Formats: sequence, structure tokens, C-alpha cells
Amino acid sequence: MNQFLAASSRAFQWSSAVASSRAARRAPRGGVPTVIVLVVGAIIVLNYGLLYTGSVFVLSACYAIVTAGMAVQIGFSQQIAFSQSVFFGVGAYGVAMLNTHLHMSVLLSGVIMVVAAALVALLLGSVVTRASGLALAVATLMLPLIAVGYVSGTGFLGGPVGAPLSGTLWPGSGSTTLVALGGGLIVVVLLAAVVFMASRILSSDIGLELFVLGVDERTAAALGVRTPRRKLELFVLGCVCAALGGVVYAGTQQFVPETVIDPTAELALLIMLFIGGRRSVFGAVIGALVIQYLQGASNWVSVNILIVEGVLLTVVLLVDPEGLSGIVQTGIAWLRRKSAPPAADGELAAAGNAGQEAPDEIAGLSLSSVLPDGGQADGAAARHGGPRDATLLEVRSVFKEYGGLSVLHDVSLALPERGLFALCGPNGAGKSTLLNVIGGSVAPSSGEVIFSGTDITRRPPHERFYQGISRTFQAVHLIKGRTVLDNVAVACLASHTASIVTRIGRSRLDAARAKAARTLAELGMAHLADREVSSLTLEMQRMVELARALAPSPRLMLLDEPASGLSEEQRQRLAALLVTLAERTCVLLVEHDLALVAQVSERIFVLSGGHLVFDGGPADFRSSPVVNSLLVGS
Amino acid sequence: MKFGNLLIAGIVTGSIYAMFAVCVSVWYRVSNILNLAVGDFAMVGALGVDNLYRVKGLPLPVAVITTLVVVAVFAYVYDQVVLRLAQDGRRPIEGIVVTFFFTFALSFFIDGLAKVLFGTDVHAAPTLWGGQALTLGSLNFPRAGLLVLACAIIIGGAFWVYIKFTLGGKALEASGENSVGARIVGIDTRQYRRLIFLGTAVIAAVFGIVESPITGFTYLSGATISLTGFIAAAYGGFRKPGRALVAGLFIGVLEAMLGGYVSAQYGDTVLYAILAAAILAWPRALGFESAVSG
Repeated sequence: MNQFLAASSRAFQWSSAVASSRAARRAPRGGVPTVIVLVVGAIIVLNYGLLYTGSVFVLSACYAIVTAGMAVQIGFSQQIAFSQSVFFGVGAYGVAMLNTHLHMSVLLSGVIMVVAAALVALLLGSVVTRASGLALAVATLMLPLIAVGYVSGTGFLGGPVGAPLSGTLWPGSGSTTLVALGGGLIVVVLLAAVVFMASRILSSDIGLELFVLGVDERTAAALGVRTPRRKLELFVLGCVCAALGGVVYAGTQQFVPETVIDPTAELALLIMLFIGGRRSVFGAVIGALVIQYLQGASNWVSVNILIVEGVLLTVVLLVDPEGLSGIVQTGIAWLRRKSAPPAADGELAAAGNAGQEAPDEIAGLSLSSVLPDGGQADGAAARHGGPRDATLLEVRSVFKEYGGLSVLHDVSLALPERGLFALCGPNGAGKSTLLNVIGGSVAPSSGEVIFSGTDITRRPPHERFYQGISRTFQAVHLIKGRTVLDNVAVACLASHTASIVTRIGRSRLDAARAKAARTLAELGMAHLADREVSSLTLEMQRMVELARALAPSPRLMLLDEPASGLSEEQRQRLAALLVTLAERTCVLLVEHDLALVAQVSERIFVLSGGHLVFDGGPADFRSSPVVNSLLVGS
Repeated sequence: MKFGNLLIAGIVTGSIYAMFAVCVSVWYRVSNILNLAVGDFAMVGALGVDNLYRVKGLPLPVAVITTLVVVAVFAYVYDQVVLRLAQDGRRPIEGIVVTFFFTFALSFFIDGLAKVLFGTDVHAAPTLWGGQALTLGSLNFPRAGLLVLACAIIIGGAFWVYIKFTLGGKALEASGENSVGARIVGIDTRQYRRLIFLGTAVIAAVFGIVESPITGFTYLSGATISLTGFIAAAYGGFRKPGRALVAGLFIGVLEAMLGGYVSAQYGDTVLYAILAAAILAWPRALGFESAVSG
């Protein structure tokens, strides 16, 4: 029973990280849903292939190919693009045209159309994916509107009537039975392949990148994710799945009505995705099945399909925004708790006790206590070596204006390879802007940023991340819904230059997680690794951010008010840790707490109204009249 | 005077788009939910009045008032049941995408209901101000169009006065800017969400009634109307009713001009291509936030 529950839970999970059960981590990822689709699909096709139920199933499998792609693109990575119905139409109409006019087989024309769709998606995507969020959604919303206008007015596509085709998905001729069953099996195999691919990508290291991209594009870029490239890949992936769905639709239905490209077709696909569970590939497949079955049922349901869909969608979303897959997962978790064997109970209780003994506290909080040689164990300092006083970062007369408002005015500063430096100033002085200019999320109006001898002024944030600049944000920017381990692992990924297709083969997520686990252990936070981040206290969340910034062994750490919201005791612990960190790397700290700043930093910069008004050591800082009038207010 | 007549036609359609765009963006400001069902309320208004007047034989004023009351009651019940469960519970459902799907489901539900009640044929509410188009030189002013314009000016103006000059309007603004903050200073944001949802539903129904003699409605017309309003509102970043209004008018006029001068058949296709290109070219200036360096 429990094994069955584990398997079904794995089928629905969008990532093993969420429930992070040990069994799920060991199992080959993506296998369970693929096998379920393959076996159940084949059984249904072989048993009911010639009946109405079977034909509804094959039709829903065609749509499921599309929705599985949408789960990756729209649900998981939250790149809302309304291009699926259009590419579904490209696939379907393309096959119909090639088959009818050029007498190509459906399989050959299908391959041609999928490749063509990929090329078109690449071209179109390189334009539209420059837009983000809402702009992407609304710009692509025009695609179905343009397409339907074009198709309904274009004679050779059949206009409003539609386009018939004589070929079938099953190659060669044969009995009607063979053609129907064979075609159905091909669809099931293709669907299983898409499910496999999508599940593999989502559970890989790139899946983690995509998740961060979906939560916050800016954070993703600061953590080294090549956001433009990932967005383009996602767009192409979604479009190719849609085109493939269109191809098999044309091949099994032998007719392409104009309605496949109608904007309402796009809405229908979205309903399938959201009812099934937007982030779950398997859920998206179930959603397509449910909706197609309801539409195909020849009773009051299909007559009143709009009412049924409306009520169903409302109820499902009210119960769980993650749709049916979310409901099933919650149910499975509940059942597992109920039916957990005593041994597992004991284990759980033990884990619970361990948690109580070590609550949200960090035992050591000092790297040196863990690492006798002063924290150089993972080779950061050894690799970046260099004399301590060599210049690492140089900001040369940076100006930044927003409209007419000058935020940074002729700011210059230089930082060496190691040490702890602080940036102070009243609210609105330009501290965060300066940090953003160094981190790359804001381009200066003029001036230069030199890092390790290279001009990086125009380099995007993710490239600066590879060169060794990591940062935390003023507000905690952790990835909700993921564990502490994954939040740190994001910064350890080696997948940035890889294409998402390579992750169907193998994932390197485990390597990143191992590196993250080492960093957490160094910081004495290993016991928190499996906790979901939003369940942590603010101090712990800030510590996780710090761990994330530290994990890739950066050369320069930009910390934006890491102590804000912390108690005095917590601040002291943080201060001790920062001092240790500064032994091996360069830390630039934005901080309001002047006592803390004077206590730990070896040099302090003060910004006021965009001007650098003070630059000196802690002793001068305490006695400086400028600083006193500006920050202390006396 | 082809240009002049196209301009008149464009302003009439544009003012309809503008009103729906204003409805979408005002409610978004209050509730952070995009309302895709606004066009469906328009459809219900038109087909409801038609059904009560033509089929049931009620006098026109009674038919109009009954329809509007039914729409208002329906919107109230929807807010009390679905939106309250979704937003006011212990675990409020957040995120523009998921909440958007609630109104999406509502739109399906209303369309399905309308199919049962009103059938699938094209109908329209009776013409409220019949007669020949008024002419001025070679310019034609269709009466139905003038009625639409008048409604747009009166209702839009009243809306603007309410938001700009009354305490209720200020509270509404506050609810949209920061709902937690607004609640702390004693503004019942839920009440404003309900008020504006109800108000925009009724306004949409009124526009459905006055507009339907021009185009005619089926039970599926709502989605198209919502979509155009939604697009126009998007050009105001969904939060600026003023810009949504201008965008709506502009889209209406552009649509008429493209239909008249470029191609009657592919005019809309060109229109949507232009709108998409504009978003991609100037995402910031048009009010689409760009996350790249936000």
C-alpha cells in the first residue's frame, strides 16, 4: 500500500525536492509517470481503440502532448505565452497540406512540420522572449488572434471549413483496425516520450534554474541563470510540443477544423493545464484527459460543457491552486501519514526529536570552528590566491540618473582581494543602486566597473556571477516552496552553459546539492537542509541567503543589509561570521547599524545624496564630523 | 469623407473598448484580479433584455431594469461565495495567474448559462433610439453609436469624479496601492472589491445593451469583448484606468482605419500584429513592467 502511495506521489510530483522523501531521491527521475502513461495508454488503446472511449482517449492524448509542454513552460517556469494553439495549428495544417497537396506520408510531413515549427519558434521566440511577464503574455496573446484571422481568410487552408487529409498516422495501408490501433499506439508512445523529457528536465539542475526563473527573473540572473537563453529554450520547447500535438491530431482525426487555431482553443488548453495542475507534467496529462472526456461524453455534461468546465475549474482551484495533482498529492501525503508503518513512525519521531533538540539555532556559526585552517578548505582562497592588497574591484566615477534625478554622482571606490568593507548612508543615498551597478542589474549612466582587471560595466548579471560576484538582497529573495538545500544549490549549479535538452540524459543536480550541503555543514546549518524556506525564522532565512552567496566560493560578496530585522544577539553572531568570511574573500556590506559597521569593517564608505562623502577606517569613521551629522544626527 | 466616417466609427468602437478596459483596470487596482468575465456581463445584458422584451413580452424599461438587477445579484453572489473563499480565507490564493483563472471559469460558466437560457442565435437588445443616422455634411452619425458615446461620457465621467473627488474613491485608490496598509487604516478592502465588481458588472451590462444593436451578440460574444478590453487595459499596465481609456479609443480608431484603408479582411490581423510589435518595441513606455532591471 505504502509503496503504491509512494509511486503515485512520485508520478504527480513536479520535483522530488518538494516532499524530498528519500525513496524519491533514489529512484530514476521521470520514470514513474512515463511508465504509467505508456502502460495505461497502451491498455486503453488496445482494448477500446475501436470504440468511442478509445477515440476520445487518443484525442485527449494529442492534447496532453501539448499540455505537458505547457506544464514546463507556463506552469513550472511561469513564462506565460499564448502560442500553443497557433503552433498546434502549424503542425496540424502543415501535415494536412503536405499530405493532401504533396502526397507525403503523415509521419514524414510530421517530422518536417515539427522541425519547421522549431525553426519558426526560434525566430519568433528570439523576438518575443525579450519581453518579460505581462508583456510576454499580452504580446503572444496576439498570436492566436493573428492566426485565426489569417486562416479564416486563406482559401487553400480551407478557410472556416477546415482541411481534410487522407493519410493516417499509422504508415502504410492496412485494415481499419490496424490503422486505428497503430495510430493510437504511436500517439501514446510520443506522449510518453514527451512526459519523460518534461519530467527529466523539471527534476534536473536546469529544472531548478527554471523554477527560480519562474519565481523571480532578477534573482535568477543574479544567481547566474542565463535568463534570455532559458526563456528562448522554454518558448521553443512549448512550441515544439504544441506542433507535435497538432501533427498527431491531424494524423489521427484526418481533419483539421479551423477551431484548432481559434483563441478559444488556447483557452481550452489552459483549462486542461490548470485543472490538472499547472506545475505537474503528469497532472497536465490528467487534465487533458478529464476535459476531453467531459467534452466527449454524450449526455447532459457535453451539452452544458461550458457550465461544467466553469464550475469544475472554480472548485478545483478553490480546493488547491495546484489543481488535481495538488489535491492528489495532499491526499497521498495524508494517507501516508495514516498508514505509515510503526517503524517509519519511530523514524519520524526520532527526526522530530532531533529537530526539537536543534531548533532554529545555528550551533557554531563560525567557519573557523569547523575549518581549522581558517576556512580555506574548499580552495576559494587558494584558487583566487593573489596578494591580499591587489585590487579586485574598481568603480570609476560612476553616475546614475533616473530621468532627471541623479542617484549616483561621480562615485569611485576600490576594493582589494580580501577584507570586510561597509557602505553606509541615509535612506535614498544610493547604496542599493551602487550595489546593483556592481552586481549588474542596473547599468550606470556613465563610468566604469572593473573587476579583476576586466571592464564588466556592460556585462549582464549572470556573467558577473560566473566571474565571482555574488550578492544578497535587501528583502529576502529566497525561493519559496523549495528546501534550504535547493535554495543554496541554485548557486552551485554547473548547468548555466548547458542546453535544457542535455538534461534529458542526466542531471547534475546531485553534485550541486552535495556542494550546497557542504556549505550548509560549514555554517552549522546542515540540520536545516530539508526544511522548506518559508518555514524558517527571519534570521535563518538571512543565513540561507548568506549560505547561497557563499556556496559558489565567490571572490566578491555584496551583502545588502544582512542584519536588518535581526536581534542584537543575532547581529553579533552574524558579525563574527562576516569577519571570518573576510579572511578568504572580499565582502562589501550595506548596513545601517553603525556600531556593527565600525566594529567589523576595516574601511567604510559613506554615500549621501549620491555623493561619496566619506572613505576611511573605523577610527576616522567614529570621529568624522560628516558622518556624525549625517548618520548620527548630532 | 471616408476618413471622417471611419473616424466616427472608430471612436464609437473605441469608446466601447475603452469602457471595458476601464472596468478591467479599476477592478484590478482594487482586487489584483484580472476580470475576463466583464464581456460576458455585457453579453448577458444584451441577450437578457432581448429575451425578456422580445420573447417574454415585458415592457422595455422593465426588461432593462430586471436584467441589470439580475446581473448585480449574480455578481454579488459570486463575490460572496467564490471570491470570499478564494481571497479572504486563511490561505488566500495569490498570484495574478491563478486568480485570473477564477474569472476565466466564471466566463465559461456565464457563457454556458447563456447558451441554455438564450440559445445560440445572434440577437440584440432592441434599438433604444431608432431612426436614420444623423448627417452633418457628408458625415454620418449613427444614432446607436451616439448613444454609446453618450453612455461612455456619462458613465466614464461619473466614474472619474467618483475616483478623483470622493472619499470612497480615495479609499479605493488606497486599496489598490497597498491592500494591507489600507486595511490597517480602517478601509474595508473587501467591501470595495465587491462594490467595484458589482459596479463594473452592471456597467458592462449597460454597454452590452446599448452596443448590441450595432453588432449583434451570441452567447460566445463575451470573450471577444473581454479580450479587447483586456488588451487595452494591458497597455495601461492594468493599473491606470486613464491610459486604458486612451488605449481603448486608439485601438478602436486604428481598427476602423485599417479596415477602411488597408484590408477589410485582414485589417484585424494587421491590427494585432501592430499591437504585438508595439509591446515588444516599447515595453516600458507602454506600461508593461520589465523584470530585466526592475
